[in-house]
Amino acid sequence: MANIKFTGVHKSFGANKIIKNFNLLGKEDEFLVLVGPSGCGKSTLLRMIAGLEKIDEGEIFINDQKINELHPSKRQTAMVFQSYALYPHMNVYENMSFGLKIEKRPKEEIDTKVMQAAKILKIEELLERKPKQLSGGQRQRVAIGRAITRNPKIFLFDEPLSNLDAALRAEMRVEISKLHNQIKTNMIYVTHDQVEAMTLADRIVILNQGNIEQVGTPEEIYNDPANIFVAQFIGTPKMNVLEINEKNVISESSIKLLGNEIQFDKLKFNKSKHFVGIRPEHLKSNQKTQYSFNPKIELIENLGNEKIIYLKQDEYQLSAKISSNLQISNSIGFDVKDVFVFDQNGKRIQS
Amino acid sequence: MRTKNTILFSLISTFFLIFLISIWKILATLQGLSINSLNIEIIFIFGFLISLAHLLIGDRIKSIYKSIIFSSIFVFCDGYLIQKLPIWYNVGVFLILYFFTNKISKYTFIGLKEEHSTQIILFDFLTLFGILFFSFVILFPFYMMLVTSFKTQIALLVNPLDFSINFGQDIKDLFKSYFVIFKSYKFGKYIVISSIVSVGTVIITLLFAIPAAYAVARLNFFGKTFLSTSILIIYMFPAIVLVIPLYTIFSQLGLRNSIEGLLIVYTATTLPVAIYMLQGYFKSIPKELEEAAILDKLSWFGIITKIIIPLSIPAISSVALYVFMIAWNEFLFSLMFLDNPNSFTLSRAIQYLSGDAETPRQYLMAGSVVVTLPVLFIFVYFEKYLVSGLTAGSVKG
Repeated sequence: MANIKFTGVHKSFGANKIIKNFNLLGKEDEFLVLVGPSGCGKSTLLRMIAGLEKIDEGEIFINDQKINELHPSKRQTAMVFQSYALYPHMNVYENMSFGLKIEKRPKEEIDTKVMQAAKILKIEELLERKPKQLSGGQRQRVAIGRAITRNPKIFLFDEPLSNLDAALRAEMRVEISKLHNQIKTNMIYVTHDQVEAMTLADRIVILNQGNIEQVGTPEEIYNDPANIFVAQFIGTPKMNVLEINEKNVISESSIKLLGNEIQFDKLKFNKSKHFVGIRPEHLKSNQKTQYSFNPKIELIENLGNEKIIYLKQDEYQLSAKISSNLQISNSIGFDVKDVFVFDQNGKRIQS
Repeated sequence: MRTKNTILFSLISTFFLIFLISIWKILATLQGLSINSLNIEIIFIFGFLISLAHLLIGDRIKSIYKSIIFSSIFVFCDGYLIQKLPIWYNVGVFLILYFFTNKISKYTFIGLKEEHSTQIILFDFLTLFGILFFSFVILFPFYMMLVTSFKTQIALLVNPLDFSINFGQDIKDLFKSYFVIFKSYKFGKYIVISSIVSVGTVIITLLFAIPAAYAVARLNFFGKTFLSTSILIIYMFPAIVLVIPLYTIFSQLGLRNSIEGLLIVYTATTLPVAIYMLQGYFKSIPKELEEAAILDKLSWFGIITKIIIPLSIPAISSVALYVFMIAWNEFLFSLMFLDNPNSFTLSRAIQYLSGDAETPRQYLMAGSVVVTLPVLFIFVYFEKYLVSGLTAGSVKG
């Protein structure tokens, strides 16, 4: 039951500007995922909300209350750390109840809160154990449990799954998603993993070098990337981006690409350099498509259910993702609706 | 390769056996046995034969039976046939042989075929030689101290080189020196003073060192690097340089002959190393733990008492142990500052005893034992806390 607002937040470490003019308005009970390459300032942003880093400039509001000068413990946030940060000398129960004990809450209240959290996370049998007797997944559950007992308005997750192995990560991802449905509060989740971002988020904030590249639901981010960075950041393998120079812009509505003359209905081109992007999953083999070309196949990676094909056509290197039950032929095709066009600065050209 | 390794193994193990038996024989001589020669040739032949026989028999006999058979044969031939010595001596030889055959039992012909086994043999026996040599060098003075303290004045005068203990005499006579030093020389009081000074130093040093080390490890303040380097520079002043000025200051302040004065000096001398040891450990505690504690509404003081100290028990106890030993054994300052027998510490008291030409040697040695034993026991007890690894499980891994 909270919303968060950033207005013109700046942060720098020495001469190194980490976050530049960050503005964002969070919605109520929203699962917000901050995603970006390492060093983009996403963790710093989270730590500024928690109060572990000072805000150089600008303001952060929670429920219209400015929190810049508030002590970390009074901001009603709870953080789940990448390294769990469980107190090693306390057992699980003590870890989860520590914050409440410091507040000197009555024993019964502490007990009910811890048991509730333990029930949600299914760690009731582990309450007597010490952190070192737990597996990675269990530790992370306890860390989340500790956050729940604090009854925060905003949950902050700092890459909570990156220390887990792949199978456990998928499992915990589902758990966190369920948790959000269950306890309906704001969650802000930092990750560099696009799969986590796409699966968990109500809205994704894509950051790059301290700037917001795009904010939107996972569908918007995937279907309507604002620029090349976003387009390439989401999706594996990353989107093929081909550079088109002015000679290949034939008219206001058509360009020459991979030996085809492609006609666009809604876009307008001027005579300059452009970038054209096609996602690997939109390149098709042995299917009926508007356009096709005959590239040289350099390598085929078999992933079981699908194959990744590395292609070479003219000076371009491309990759294509094709379902394994389809025959791969030398002819690769694509449709005009799957082609993204960006201007010379990398900005998307939209109708 | 096999022949070379076999010969090398047999030779080294034989020398090891000679070394062991020779030490045993020297110790036996000190106990009053008259052994005329070390019989090195015979031990050499036996040792060589045992090593070879061990290799030849291999796994055909269970190794425990093999060890017992070899040991018995050796004891029978060497001790019983050649030297005819009392039974306790032969039991000792048997145990040494049993230890020896167990040590060599991991070597087999197959193992010796491998090229790197030369290194393994050399390394194994070098370690054993080293351990034996150093334990002998370290333990022998202790042994002498203990033996002398159990003797009478007459026995010491008759034969100063007799290192045996006569357990036949009355318990009261055996511990006579101890009764005397506690009764006539007031050692009970010195123990109390020494304990107060040492424990007091430990408490005061930790009270100062823990916050200081935390500040150096975690907080950012003006002059931090200067402070952290200057901590150790203080320690580089030799104590003797400080003694004279301190003596005049303490005389004027009336701190001489007082426990408070000693506490100040001891704390000052142990604090730098205590801070240095602790801050290294504090730095190794993950920062996230403290951040989590901040979010749990803990103050700085709470973080130190509830998070840092419980996690640093190994480091803190080793610092406490170190400070305690320094304070307990400290001699120079107590010699300079204490001249009233009513405020002596143990080490000062012993010096006072030895300064007196009439004090018998056995009393001195009994006093030394009294000084040594507490530190020894404390060390053995605290040793388990010195094992670190308490932070396991808090962060990944």
